[in-house]
Amino acid sequence: MPEYKYNNSNRGIRGTAKESAITGCKLSSGRVLSVQRNALESNEIIAKKNRAKFGRALVINFLSSPGSGKTSLLESIAPVLKADGFKIAVIEGDVETDLDKKRIDALGVPAYQIITNGTCHLDAKMVNGSLDSLNIKDTDVIFIENVGNLVCPTSFNLGEDMKAVVLSVTEGDDKPLKYPAAFYKSKIMIINKIDLLPALDSDISKIKENALSINKDITIFETSCKKTAEAGISGLAAFIKNEIKRKTEDFRKINYNTYF
Amino acid sequence: MHEFSVALEIVDMLQENGYLSGVRKVNSIKLNIGKYSGIDENYLDFAFKNLNDERFKDVLLEFIHSGSDEIKIIEILAD
Repeated sequence: MPEYKYNNSNRGIRGTAKESAITGCKLSSGRVLSVQRNALESNEIIAKKNRAKFGRALVINFLSSPGSGKTSLLESIAPVLKADGFKIAVIEGDVETDLDKKRIDALGVPAYQIITNGTCHLDAKMVNGSLDSLNIKDTDVIFIENVGNLVCPTSFNLGEDMKAVVLSVTEGDDKPLKYPAAFYKSKIMIINKIDLLPALDSDISKIKENALSINKDITIFETSCKKTAEAGISGLAAFIKNEIKRKTEDFRKINYNTYF
Repeated sequence: MHEFSVALEIVDMLQENGYLSGVRKVNSIKLNIGKYSGIDENYLDFAFKNLNDERFKDVLLEFIHSGSDEIKIIEILAD
């Protein structure tokens, strides 16, 4: 019987096992059990439940490195959407503290803080738990601000409609190439803090080129949240309003039973 | 280091779906890891060996690579 190698060369691990194409076939070295399932299946099940609970609300999951300006973006976008009559809710994810929630509270927007106590990402279960406390009835858009980390949060579906990756110009134009998963999985990229460009060597066209090389369909926005140099916020808000409208229309078309 | 969470999710999934029924030891797990899955293979290997679950203490991970973002368990070899 042929053998195939279990190989993890980076750690110098080697091993062999008898090969079998027959599911559950008993061999001297054990049983080969065909699984063929998503490794994060449990998370996916809860993500679907979240999606049902979100209902017609558009849900955007913000990913970024720490300090890229996710909370500042929410502080800039929320008043624009509120002024147009949209109802907003925010789920904040942080390793420690509810400082970001307090900033959202100050806007008069319902917010819930998930403190992960060291965990580097939000998962569907954490978000599901937050929905017991956060009133999202009649909400048009829910923003989830994930833990500041460009790697770990990318693996977990929270039931969102889209991921949005935020990148500040101070982070360098090679970030999309170094952390491709976040850019591959995001529908939009927000290049933030563009007011700092005159003081930096960052090449914004290179940032875009690198992001598009990972995900050719990613929609790109350039923003600044600085009060004296605010830019790009109205364009981003317009995009969100269109997506809210699209989600509401899609939700109406789909039979209720499909969601539940 | 979300690979610990991923390893726990894998164990839960295998447990809940009966793959670990009567299993004393999992010798190996064959996984398809997409290029955009956000998984570090060495960290995942480290996570399994430190799960505090004796069944996975000596598990060997075999990785198949794809260009997607999926993390899929192909098969396990168990005693």
